[in-house]
Amino acid sequence: MTSVANEIHIRARERAPFSVMIILKSRWFLYAVSLTAFFLIWDYVAVSRILGSAMARPYEVAVQLNTMMTDPLAGKSLFGHIWASTQRILIGFAIGAALATPLGLLMALNRHISAVVKPLFDLIKPMPPIAWISIAILWFGIGEPSKVFIIVIGTFVPCLLNSYNGVRLIDPQLYDVVRMLGGNRGDEILHVCFPAAFPAIFAGLQISLSSAWSCVLAAELVSARSGLGFITLLGMTLSRPALILGGMVVIAVVAWVTTLLVTGLEKILCPWKRGVIDI
Amino acid sequence: MANEDKIICEHISKEFIQKGKQRVRVLEDISLEVKQNEFLVILGPGQAGKSTLLRIIAGLETPTQGRVLVDGREVKGAGSDRGLVFQSYMLFPWKTVTGNVELGPKLRGMSNKERRKITQHYINLVGLQNFEKHYPHQLSGGMKQRVGIARAYANNPEVMLLDEPFGQLDAQTRYYMEKETTRIWETEKRTVIFVTNNIDEAIYLGDRIFSLKGKLPGRMHQVYPVGLPRPREHTDMKFLELRHQITEASDLTL
Amino acid sequence: MAYEEVKVKTPLALWILPILSVTLFFGVWQAIVDFGIVPETMLATPLEVIKLFIVKLTDPNPDGALLWRHAWTSIQEAFTGYILSLAVGIPLGLLMGWFVVAEGLARPFFEIIRPIPPIAWIPLTIFWFGIGISGKVFIIWLGGLVPCVINSFVGVRMTNPTLIQMARTYGATDWQIFTRICIPSALPMVFGALQIALAYCWTNLVAAELLAADTGLGYLITMGRRLAMPSMVVLGMIMVGLTGAVIGVIIDWVEKHLLAGIRR
Repeated sequence: MTSVANEIHIRARERAPFSVMIILKSRWFLYAVSLTAFFLIWDYVAVSRILGSAMARPYEVAVQLNTMMTDPLAGKSLFGHIWASTQRILIGFAIGAALATPLGLLMALNRHISAVVKPLFDLIKPMPPIAWISIAILWFGIGEPSKVFIIVIGTFVPCLLNSYNGVRLIDPQLYDVVRMLGGNRGDEILHVCFPAAFPAIFAGLQISLSSAWSCVLAAELVSARSGLGFITLLGMTLSRPALILGGMVVIAVVAWVTTLLVTGLEKILCPWKRGVIDI
Repeated sequence: MANEDKIICEHISKEFIQKGKQRVRVLEDISLEVKQNEFLVILGPGQAGKSTLLRIIAGLETPTQGRVLVDGREVKGAGSDRGLVFQSYMLFPWKTVTGNVELGPKLRGMSNKERRKITQHYINLVGLQNFEKHYPHQLSGGMKQRVGIARAYANNPEVMLLDEPFGQLDAQTRYYMEKETTRIWETEKRTVIFVTNNIDEAIYLGDRIFSLKGKLPGRMHQVYPVGLPRPREHTDMKFLELRHQITEASDLTL
Repeated sequence: MAYEEVKVKTPLALWILPILSVTLFFGVWQAIVDFGIVPETMLATPLEVIKLFIVKLTDPNPDGALLWRHAWTSIQEAFTGYILSLAVGIPLGLLMGWFVVAEGLARPFFEIIRPIPPIAWIPLTIFWFGIGISGKVFIIWLGGLVPCVINSFVGVRMTNPTLIQMARTYGATDWQIFTRICIPSALPMVFGALQIALAYCWTNLVAAELLAADTGLGYLITMGRRLAMPSMVVLGMIMVGLTGAVIGVIIDWVEKHLLAGIRR
């Protein structure tokens, strides 16, 4: 699909082939400038102590990251902490998705089930999952179950919404196709509902995943002894900004990798979806 | 082959309730008969209820009054003895061309070997030989509709119902598809009911033209036998005479 | 006459079931605590929550402030952060969508910030700003920033190229095309961002308050836990949900009236 992005491309090529302005305005050059500026400003802020002693220089953070990979923190290596957080996400995500997706499908297929479940869901929906942390701790204590519970809540809402809408918005004539070919209601569900709703369900899973990340971090900040959120909290309590920033860097990298994996998975599972705009 | 009526519609009327509060009468007292292996065209302006009539024959809607008989038996629902080709293709985007065409036989539990043979036969029949593994989004409009036709044919229905199948195609492709439809039908004859709002298409394709008149509710207007030999020429004298006759008789520009 | 007005009644089952379902929910909730199935330290009955609500309207104890003061603090913080994120994110995203220079300079910053959930910034923010309002507003601002930038960016990118080419035939400059064509064309996406950003801002507000506050609805929730008063926790949760929903409705209303003619 042509877009403004292409427009800009075409304009650039029509100009004179070589000049200083071209280089200055080329996208990659600007990226490079911007990245360098980012690190320079960071370094400056840290050195000149604008924010008090609350900033660590990029170099210090790099050193800290290196140390984290070899020395244990609060009893676990860096990968141990990454795994602790990831484990919570995986379990909570699996439970939440396994409960919400079929429920959403059922609600969309059966008006009576929808009439029973939807009002309750609409009551729960406006409350952010993080608001449940306190009551989860009251119920489950400060161990793993309370954290997994929050992630389940955080996963449940987007998954249900997406699978419900995914089925609801299927073109009804697709069902007609199956009926005309001699299929029954079961065939309709198997051959139309599931595949047609799949992209929406998958989108719901993606949203749930990023929601799960926020939830696990919040839960870890409140009460945890392991995990990436815990690391950043530790940095705060020990007044070690390098540790805080190091933890944030690790969080960013892990989140980025997970997103990449999931997007890649989508390309494999849904080859029929056309890409829209890439950002 | 006996010349009895394959399909009989007796006094069909249809009402809908739209938007929860408006009762709309879409069809008023339609009766028609279609003979075995006849190519019947239902012609009418937009909003005349043609698609609804087709869907009633297909069994996807039930008439408010009247009934439809196929081979003497009343139609009570959709069935694999009638095949439907949709105006907006309605292909499954997650299935390839082969996947789409073989769905009918698959649902009926045909063996893999049989199914593959039949699927390939109909893909070849509609002229899509090298596109078996393509997804619908990779195909042009005309190709998508050919998949739709192959899919309906592959289920071996006795009746083919086509609901303005070429409405979304450009003029060139449309002419091409009309020729193809005639070729396919003559290769494997079925009883066909073809709905369109295009008079040239109607005269080109049909053995008989059944015209509906007016806006809602659609009523029976005239039946025109088209006695011209195939392949037909749009510029033939008799073609144009019939065209003139139909246009004069209807109150809207066709 | 083709159309005729007709009354269609919703089947009885479909409007009784929701009522039954909600009533059953509250009934079971009330019962499991009343009958001791769930201990009083873990859950409060709906009636107790309502009682606390009424009490908190006038009694600042035991957490230190009246209910409306908590709600007002939360709304203030959320609103400030929200408006700031709109004020920064939308122009930034729009500019990034059209001007290569803007995109080139801003994008690396954005891509670095983007994968980090705003919650991860909380320890750093407490370290920098302490437990005051500015820290929380910063987190909320971060939360709303990302959807604003993305939606505005995509909105401009999706401008119909034919419109741009048409403007060029009239001799429009880059800036004119940007202001007269790209921005109006991107408005539906921008308005979409309003709701999304609000949801993110509200969520991040609650998170920030859970950890570092002395007033606010999130603080109320935490206090309820510390005082082992589940009624306070539930009250806080419900107030959070309710307030968020009400603000959402208001934004929706504003959007409908501002965007009346444009199709989404």
